[in-house]
Amino acid sequence: MGTLTASLNTALSSMLAQQGAIDTATNNIANVDTPGYSRQVANLEESPTIQEGDLTYGTGVQLASVTSLRDAVLDVRTNQETAQQGQLNAFIGAGQQVQALFNETSGTGLQSSLTAFFNSFSDLASDPSDPTTRQNVLTAAQNLTGAINQTSSNLSTLQTNADLSVQQSVSQINSLTSQIAQVNQEVVEATQNGQNPGPAEDQRQQLINQLSNYIGVSETDAGDGSLTLSTANGSALVVGNQSFALSTQTNANGFQDIYSNGQNITSQISGGSLAGNIQIRDQEIPAFQNSLDTLAYDLTTAVNKQNQAGYDLHGDPGGDIFTPLTQVQGAAANMGVVMTDPDLIAASGTAGTVTDGVSSSSGDNTNANALYALQNSNMVDGQTPISYYSGMVFKIGNDVSTAQTNEQAGSQALQQLQNLQGGVSGVDINQEAANLVQFQNAYQAAAQVVTVINSLLETTINMMDTATV
Amino acid sequence: MSIRLNPNLLPDLLAGIEQSQQNETTASQELASGRSVNEPSDDPAAAAAIVFNHNQASQDAQFLQNISNLQGRFQVADSTLSNVVTSVTQAITIGTEGANGTLSPSERQALAAQVQGILTQVMGLANTTYQGAYLFGGTSVTTQPFAVDATTGAITYNGNDQTTTVQLTDGNSITANVPGDQLFQNPGGSILGALQDLYTALNTSSDNMGNAVTELGSALSQLDTQRVTYGNALNQINLSESFLNQDQLNVAQQENDLEGADVTQAATAFSQAQLANQAAISATSQVLNQKNLLDYLA
Repeated sequence: MGTLTASLNTALSSMLAQQGAIDTATNNIANVDTPGYSRQVANLEESPTIQEGDLTYGTGVQLASVTSLRDAVLDVRTNQETAQQGQLNAFIGAGQQVQALFNETSGTGLQSSLTAFFNSFSDLASDPSDPTTRQNVLTAAQNLTGAINQTSSNLSTLQTNADLSVQQSVSQINSLTSQIAQVNQEVVEATQNGQNPGPAEDQRQQLINQLSNYIGVSETDAGDGSLTLSTANGSALVVGNQSFALSTQTNANGFQDIYSNGQNITSQISGGSLAGNIQIRDQEIPAFQNSLDTLAYDLTTAVNKQNQAGYDLHGDPGGDIFTPLTQVQGAAANMGVVMTDPDLIAASGTAGTVTDGVSSSSGDNTNANALYALQNSNMVDGQTPISYYSGMVFKIGNDVSTAQTNEQAGSQALQQLQNLQGGVSGVDINQEAANLVQFQNAYQAAAQVVTVINSLLETTINMMDTATV
Repeated sequence: MSIRLNPNLLPDLLAGIEQSQQNETTASQELASGRSVNEPSDDPAAAAAIVFNHNQASQDAQFLQNISNLQGRFQVADSTLSNVVTSVTQAITIGTEGANGTLSPSERQALAAQVQGILTQVMGLANTTYQGAYLFGGTSVTTQPFAVDATTGAITYNGNDQTTTVQLTDGNSITANVPGDQLFQNPGGSILGALQDLYTALNTSSDNMGNAVTELGSALSQLDTQRVTYGNALNQINLSESFLNQDQLNVAQQENDLEGADVTQAATAFSQAQLANQAAISATSQVLNQKNLLDYLA
């Protein structure tokens, strides 16, 4: 049989439980704008019942737990998308600087000096004995080598910048993985102690998302509440409360390779700004540097060879206009003009008879025409120089444009994921306000019950007074 | 129960504002620069085509410069040869006069002196230079092509028989000179030889006077034949010049097609983006000021 004291306890349990629920709603409202916060719900349940004979009495309500609402799958997908975006943004940022070197619409590329160089031979052919047209050839050659040297040097600078970004990313990654390892421990402890691990999980997800900006990670649930993080190739970054720092080592090119536990994983990294910068540093820029080297080497070789086929103003066989190059690698940086005397340009196709060091064929332009015609020969990797260069402009434009398209699509996908996540975890003020009113009413009702029971107890006590007096 | 939506509308709204602002910037850049392709990634194919386009434009400019250079040279050559014709015609008149049997030896010698003057004049014309280079020495342009041998008195040609070819347009070339021996010492009729013969005939009162005049006549018609080369060349040059001027227009039009902004389209895009931007801002301000349940509970 129930007692008044039992009823009082029941009412009290309700007041306590409602108080907890009100706390939860208040905390949700307080954190409405907190980044990474997942809304919490107070889980109320019936208190254990008491059995007396055939009768079952309820003993009130209890706040069983407070849980954070989150969708772990959405977290993982958000992190993957973030890693993708991090890589694309790093690539686009550096790629835009590369394409600025080949921006023909604003005239900052190589086309004008390339065309001017060949035009100087046409000028020469129209008046081969004129010292001015001869000097113009050497000036145009110097302008061309200057432009190619400069572009090559600018590419190297961009490559060095990308290498610096790689090093910065690595130190950020190491700082984040060590924080994640700590928070992992907090989640494990909260889980073991029967507390709500939600707030620690919120913090962990925030950190993993930041980490994803720098590197793509795969996440696996260890079962005890902790997450195991590893790189795309399976190198461990975080296991339980332990983090594994990435390290760097200077490679043969003078750039930093990435090592995990003594293993070089540079080429296997995917996702995040680290992957984007490695892509720029180890693939994109070397590809352009190599194209530029090919252009410089083939131009040097073909022009020198054609000049050697003719005769200069003195009736001597032509020599080298450009400094002869021994290998393709580094050709763009090393390209130079070796000829200083414009008389040595071999415009003529014949030696002629030489009187006082002057050829009788100084007006011959056969070889000048041949030098001019080089621009239409497939001398650079099976293409004409302009065609080859145009291909380079297309490649950088296309690479950046493709990355931009992917970045836009990814940005929308990310926004979509954030909306889905907000649907699960976001705090809705109206919902919390309704809950608040609901819990408040229940609390007031319980308080009213206490008053009623109090009055009943008084009645009982007064009754005993009457009996004794 | 319906699916719970994200209660936080701001990220979507802010993304909308950002997007419309970006569209506004793109359209205004296009309007300001007059170009739809400002960097290769805007349109990679157009950016690659612009390389060829600019190359073509510079080549055309170079060809036009060659043409203006050649025009000057050909005009000088043509007017030089025209002067030669005048002088030779004068010599023929003198020769015809000298053939008159009534003239005294001294009168003939006076005529001979006139012919000598004409010969010197023609020699000077044959050694004409243009911008420091001899016009009629073949490809030997630094040595005076015609000289009188001090001992024999014979006129020697020190040039060569080479011609030069200059490109006027892609795949279209022109011969830029006629070697001097073809003009002045042609085997079919030598101007210089005939003038010398006429001088000798007048000076010695020889019977060869008539022959010398005939010789001079055929040398003159030979010169006219060779001179046509320069006339034709000038015509060909003028044709190429018109072609190149037209091609420059085409190239400029093509450049505009490749990278030029469609102003109407850009202006429309700009006002659309502006409208979208205002709508997004207004929606955001309404959401920010929206009352919630708590406002009604007080």
